[in-house]
Amino acid sequence: MPPLSQRKWAFLMCVAGCIVPAAAVLDAEGRSRFIAIVGKALSDRPRSIQRQFGLFLGLMRWLALPRFGAPFDRLSPANQDVMLRWLLDAPLAKLRGGFWGLRALAFMGYSGQTEVWPSLRYTPSFNGNELLYG
Amino acid sequence: MVERSFDVVIVGSGAGGGTVAKELAPLCREGVRIAVLEWGPKLKEEEFTGREAEMAEKLYFDNGGFLTRDRAMTLAFACAYGGSTVVYTGTSLPLPEEVLSRWGVPGLEHADLQRRSEKYLTENNVHLLDEDRINDNNRLFLEACRKLGYRVEQFPVNVKGCRGSGLCNLGCPNAAKQGTHRVQLPAAEAAGVEVITNCKVERIGGRECVVTVTNPPFGEPSLWPQGRYRIRTRAIVVAAGAVNSPALLLRSRLPVRLPALGRYFTAHPALILVGEHDRPITNFYGHPKSYYCDHFVESAKFLLETCMYFPFTTAKNLIGFGAEHAEMMARMDRMQMILVLAVDPALAENRVTVDSAGEPVVYYRFTDEVLDALVESQRVAARIFFAAGCRRVHAPAGTGFFIGADEAHRLEELINREAFKLGKVSISSAHLMGGCRMGTDPATSVTDAWGQVHGVPWLFVADASLFPMCSEINPYITIMALADRVAERVRMRLPELPAA
Repeated sequence: MPPLSQRKWAFLMCVAGCIVPAAAVLDAEGRSRFIAIVGKALSDRPRSIQRQFGLFLGLMRWLALPRFGAPFDRLSPANQDVMLRWLLDAPLAKLRGGFWGLRALAFMGYSGQTEVWPSLRYTPSFNGNELLYG
Repeated sequence: MVERSFDVVIVGSGAGGGTVAKELAPLCREGVRIAVLEWGPKLKEEEFTGREAEMAEKLYFDNGGFLTRDRAMTLAFACAYGGSTVVYTGTSLPLPEEVLSRWGVPGLEHADLQRRSEKYLTENNVHLLDEDRINDNNRLFLEACRKLGYRVEQFPVNVKGCRGSGLCNLGCPNAAKQGTHRVQLPAAEAAGVEVITNCKVERIGGRECVVTVTNPPFGEPSLWPQGRYRIRTRAIVVAAGAVNSPALLLRSRLPVRLPALGRYFTAHPALILVGEHDRPITNFYGHPKSYYCDHFVESAKFLLETCMYFPFTTAKNLIGFGAEHAEMMARMDRMQMILVLAVDPALAENRVTVDSAGEPVVYYRFTDEVLDALVESQRVAARIFFAAGCRRVHAPAGTGFFIGADEAHRLEELINREAFKLGKVSISSAHLMGGCRMGTDPATSVTDAWGQVHGVPWLFVADASLFPMCSEINPYITIMALADRVAERVRMRLPELPAA
């Protein structure tokens, strides 16, 4: 069972789409792969970390309220971007660290999918030398 | 609990444990029973798929992202038959004499370490790759360093039949890398050493240890059935790496007090830096790590190496997100990469401890000197990228996401300490050292110069946790040379140790 509630998954996908724009337009299969990769990574972490991550998602949603008058997922893309840039450089190291973890998971869920590698122009081969030198 | 007994138990099968196993293996002919207890699995050849997320899960602790207590740095260390020698790039350099002098361990002489290092350089097929096997990513680094007047050297690597998959850090899919999983462990097993995989050592108590065997849903099943075991032994060699060795000793009942245990942890904190060319270059085909530049080690305490990473690792290391991040990530075939590593001091406060469940917790404080080194290293790397022809570079301490070639004259201003915030930047380490440092004083060290734990004649350490300070170079050959010494001492001491 993925270690987040359905609501938290929906929120995570919303944020992931801001971090990796291509994640916002993944098809159903790509979205399932994203959830499977991130879910596995979270499940492998201690329960305390899973809880903290869930709390951070909740905090992030409502941190937008005082500044923008709405939770993060209801902000315009421009305001979501402002919010995320604030978190990236947040004055508190814990907030920066939490956002770092969230970014890492978003990148993992997207670039961890071998199906997207060609779009990154990453096409590894076990026989790289053959491709290089014939 | 099932009871077993051996004469020597070695915890861990990496550069240290694998070496000790092979060196002691001839004793099996005399009836000496030796077991290697390895936490990780032995993967089947077909399981080396080169898929980043999958291999990270199968081969590394915490998927290669073990976090320090303050979450400012991730530590990558493997959990596999062969330990981290399965996932390094095979770079193999003996410890420089001046570093050994700085270590200042009485009884540890350079000539002795050099002789033992050379043995493993030969045994593990360490050599320089031919020039015609160097890809653009590496060649451009070499040429740029030369152009800038920076000292640059080629890495000797331990490969045999390398086919240039570039997937070294995910476990070579072509069985080319000559780590202990290919050389020392098979030789030890052939001589009669038992290697028990999927076996976690819970604790050591007296001359025994309690272990649990649990098979994951991949890899070969362990030689032993799943379950808990109490293993009695005459001697124990702990070689579980610089995080897990101190952690194991800390959660064990040892007959001595070791105030330095877990302390003086060093890590060569590293950044992955990226430059972008205006055309595709060869980067992810071919061996990824052919050159290093130690020009700034003495003056500014950092080292630069070539590298090439995979999509997730690369994405995580670029600071930022959104359109500009995606733009850069969509051009992996144009990326040139440099790994910068800081030479960090051995501080008592940088340490491995254990939590209430006995799991390791690593405390690491970045000193101003290390942060300065990491910032300055980005300026130097940017100069190398631009000298190599990059159109723009990304620096974690950059004031913007990209620095264009037309801004190359403003690097001091565009890369600065203010923009380099812990928690924001992806700092990682794969060179974990210290925690059971060698020395003569039990107040400031854990073992003697031969890896024997102070005051415990049956307990030895044989891995990078022995390093009293960082190695300032890639550590594997030094680990093997030290492990060779430890094996010699165990061989000498074994007749004096009572039966299990």
